[in-house]
Amino acid sequence: MKCWKIWMIAALLPLAFTSQAQALSGEEVMKQSQAAFLYPGKDFKARVVMKLINNGGQERVRELTMLRKNMGEAGGDQKYFMYFFQPSDVKDMTFMIHKYPAKDDDRWMFIPAINMVKRIAAQDKRSSFVGSDFTYEDVSGRDIEDDSHAVEREEKVGDRDCYVVKSTPKGADSDFGYKFTWIDKTNFLPLKEEQYDRKRARYKQFSADEIADVKGVPTVVNLCPHRGPFGNSNNV
Amino acid sequence: MFNFSLVEFSISRPKLIVAATVALTLLFLTQFPSIKTDTNPKHMLPENSDVRVWNDEVDKTFALYEDTIVVGVENHAGVLNRETLARIARVTDAIVRLDGVASRDVNSFTTITNVTAEAGTLKVGPLMPGAPQTDAEVEALRAALFGNPLLVDRVISKDGKTTAIYVPLEKDSNGAVIAANIREIVSGEKGPERYYIAGDPVARDTFGAEMFKLMAVFAPIAGMIMFAAIQLMFRNLALSFAMMGVSMAAIIWSMGLLIGVGLPVHIMSSMAPVFLMAIATDSIHIFNEFYFRYRERGDKLAAIRETMAAVSRPVRFTALATTAGFAVLLFMNIVPVQVFGGLIAFGTVVLRLFSFSLIPAILTFVKEENIAKAAKGESVELSLAARFLHRIAGVGATRPLATALVGLVLVVVAIVGTTKIHVNNNLVAWFKQSSEIRVADTAMNQALGGTSLGYLVVQSNEADFVKRPEAMRWLEGLQRHLETLPVVGKTFSVADYVKRINRVLHDDDPKFDTVPDTRDTVGQYLFLFGMSAKPADLDNVVDSGFQKANLMVQLKTWDAEAMRQVIQAADAYQKAHPLAATVRPAGIAYFNLVWNDEVLGDLVLGLGLALVVVFVILALDFRSAKWALVAYVPLLFTILLIYGVVGFTGKDFDMPLSVMSTLSLGMAVDFSIHFISRFRQRLAETGGALSEEALREALLWTAARPGKGILRNALLFAAAFSVMLFAPLTPYIAVGAFIVSMMLLSALLTILYLPALVMLGQRWLFDQQKPGVDTAPAPTKGD
Repeated sequence: MKCWKIWMIAALLPLAFTSQAQALSGEEVMKQSQAAFLYPGKDFKARVVMKLINNGGQERVRELTMLRKNMGEAGGDQKYFMYFFQPSDVKDMTFMIHKYPAKDDDRWMFIPAINMVKRIAAQDKRSSFVGSDFTYEDVSGRDIEDDSHAVEREEKVGDRDCYVVKSTPKGADSDFGYKFTWIDKTNFLPLKEEQYDRKRARYKQFSADEIADVKGVPTVVNLCPHRGPFGNSNNV
Repeated sequence: MFNFSLVEFSISRPKLIVAATVALTLLFLTQFPSIKTDTNPKHMLPENSDVRVWNDEVDKTFALYEDTIVVGVENHAGVLNRETLARIARVTDAIVRLDGVASRDVNSFTTITNVTAEAGTLKVGPLMPGAPQTDAEVEALRAALFGNPLLVDRVISKDGKTTAIYVPLEKDSNGAVIAANIREIVSGEKGPERYYIAGDPVARDTFGAEMFKLMAVFAPIAGMIMFAAIQLMFRNLALSFAMMGVSMAAIIWSMGLLIGVGLPVHIMSSMAPVFLMAIATDSIHIFNEFYFRYRERGDKLAAIRETMAAVSRPVRFTALATTAGFAVLLFMNIVPVQVFGGLIAFGTVVLRLFSFSLIPAILTFVKEENIAKAAKGESVELSLAARFLHRIAGVGATRPLATALVGLVLVVVAIVGTTKIHVNNNLVAWFKQSSEIRVADTAMNQALGGTSLGYLVVQSNEADFVKRPEAMRWLEGLQRHLETLPVVGKTFSVADYVKRINRVLHDDDPKFDTVPDTRDTVGQYLFLFGMSAKPADLDNVVDSGFQKANLMVQLKTWDAEAMRQVIQAADAYQKAHPLAATVRPAGIAYFNLVWNDEVLGDLVLGLGLALVVVFVILALDFRSAKWALVAYVPLLFTILLIYGVVGFTGKDFDMPLSVMSTLSLGMAVDFSIHFISRFRQRLAETGGALSEEALREALLWTAARPGKGILRNALLFAAAFSVMLFAPLTPYIAVGAFIVSMMLLSALLTILYLPALVMLGQRWLFDQQKPGVDTAPAPTKGD
């Protein structure tokens, strides 16, 4: 048993040194990445078209306008507003979110068919974003403090140099056991993400297939999830 | 003749024969370590069968799991208290972390989605995110549970004493290991709760274990009983060992071949060792005759030759009949039955090969004085058994008309009984009442909605059809209609979500516990729900294009008939309320129904085939359709009587029984073949005139001498199978009882009714050939 312990410490030491040797910690990288991905600019407006493609190749379209306003610095409060156009039976449905770091969001939904605004408390951690493979967390971000982050290695995605960050949830409330994010070293946009369940099986991954400069801010314009054995494949 | 040269060769080179057999047996034995079992009931039908293809498609469309383990938690004081709830939370949390568990879709108090209205807010989330800390929280939970009809009977029993944790398994995960891990998790909880672990994977695992028990414990016991019985009959250890050696070798060859070609052992083939052992007893006729001949001649080699000459024809034809009886199974639709048929057919051929090689070879090794000693008892005059048989046959031969009339009355009664037979395969009932799985299933069925799950897939070609309010109401109406059936515990569909959301959005007003009036409203509710709940919640009940809805029906019984009632009720409902959509059943309950009907079809087909094949073999053997008909009677009589009893007792006529009835034709006919062959030989040997007296004499001789072989054969067969009466699975018990009664009954009926029929039909049987016996097969040629 003694040998084992010594070996463990020996194995841990170089790790500790390498992470110190790096300019940025996992936490830092993730923070910068969220700022670049979820908080670029002061506000944001996009017409989003999602194509949900099921196993049988059937295609369904979700179309919405999404507004975002940052209430302070990156990592601070945000307000989201989503207005749906498609599918036709949900036209005019509206979704408003006040997002707070380290606190449950406030959400409201307008249901035009019964002309009602209702406040909604939902479990955003796992629920699907408009019927796609994305969860709310995938779309609007997960609190940095909910996970511990470590830069595992550096790697190229295509021709871009990336940090590979491993994030492990601190609590047991999340869907995934851990995830890897490939974050561009220069613009801090996440280029790829792989989510693993508690049994270390990969069940979900996204890749940013297209990135364009929008008003001087690099933005992901095509995000594509690939899911494990089942599920839809959808493009945003 | 091939057989003759083989016999001669075996007598002259006995050591070579034994060595070759041992070597081949060892070769087959090398395959044993790679044995695999298959206990998945789905594999009863081939992978490309319509029902399996369709069920797979449904599983995929609705993201359903093939396997789910259900953990029942019962507390007689009620589960809604802080301690029990804390345990449930702990157990769920541990289960979610197990390898192979589809963690995201485990449904328990802590994970199941609940839709509620709280202070003007629509709340969608886990019912009980953490164990309640105060009694007030427990009461709130109680109110939430019983206020949501989606949860009652699913995760909480009406009396509040039982809850369930549903644990879906990832594809290709090991259900046995997961169940064992869950058992370990719950055994760590010390409290008044009782835990039940049920579900398909658990059943399969238990089944597999019992199958091994049958092969590894019960088959050897059957062997030992047979060994003891043979030893009692022949009082010669060498002979007893020879018999056992022959059957062991045949078993090893057959099982080795099965394993070697990569087929898994299934419920049917697990019975193969006992069957082969019993079929091997047919060589008792060789020993039987050898003893008689040796006593008469006193020369061992001559006795062997004469014996083989006398019995070769009946032995060959009985083997042919048995082989054919099993080979008929190759035409069945149920995979394990096909495999079983092929396996036993092969084993029977091997056994017969041994009859003409290994057995004569072994007989040469037996010490003369031992045979002499043992053979002393083998005289028709001295033997008690022979006298008993003589008397039975005497009844038939002297009072043929009365015997036949009694038979006729019994046949009528039996036919009445057969009309009461109902085919039913209830896989859970295959386990004994006291088994863990039966206890769990019974408890869960009493407390919750039902453990057997069927689906009704409602599909339309129109996109978003399911969102139409009339479709929703139709689903709801169908559910209420189905729930009037006593076998249906709970039903569940997308309409339940829509109604729930409608009510909750309107501040939990019961007035709104309905399907809303417009399609847009339904669409928006479902959109809202899809955005707030776990993806599986909606996926399980509706496809992504909203063209198909999955109505889940929980049944309180695994009887195949239950799903038939559901399908009929759905048909009736659709006739009364036409809707532009089709309804197609699916799920494990539906599979069982389809499979059950296949069993019935197979039974009819198999019986028909076996009847024809056996008749042809009989006619070939006797070169006479008339004699074949006579030989047929005791056989049909036996089967009718057994069916009659099965009908009167109300026992389910299930797959193993139906297979047995097909096989029994091929096995029970042996006695008739032996009797009639030897009877006609006797007539030919004595060469007497065809007086009534001579006939009676020959019949009585046959009953006493080859009849003793028949009785011995039947007793050995029955002895081997009687072990199965103590087996742990009910199909084994049923098979054991069936074979035991069939063997004893058919031996008795052969010896009683053949003499009666021959006496009654003597004119008809012998009319064309006044001397009578010329055309009888003359196996004495080789003498």
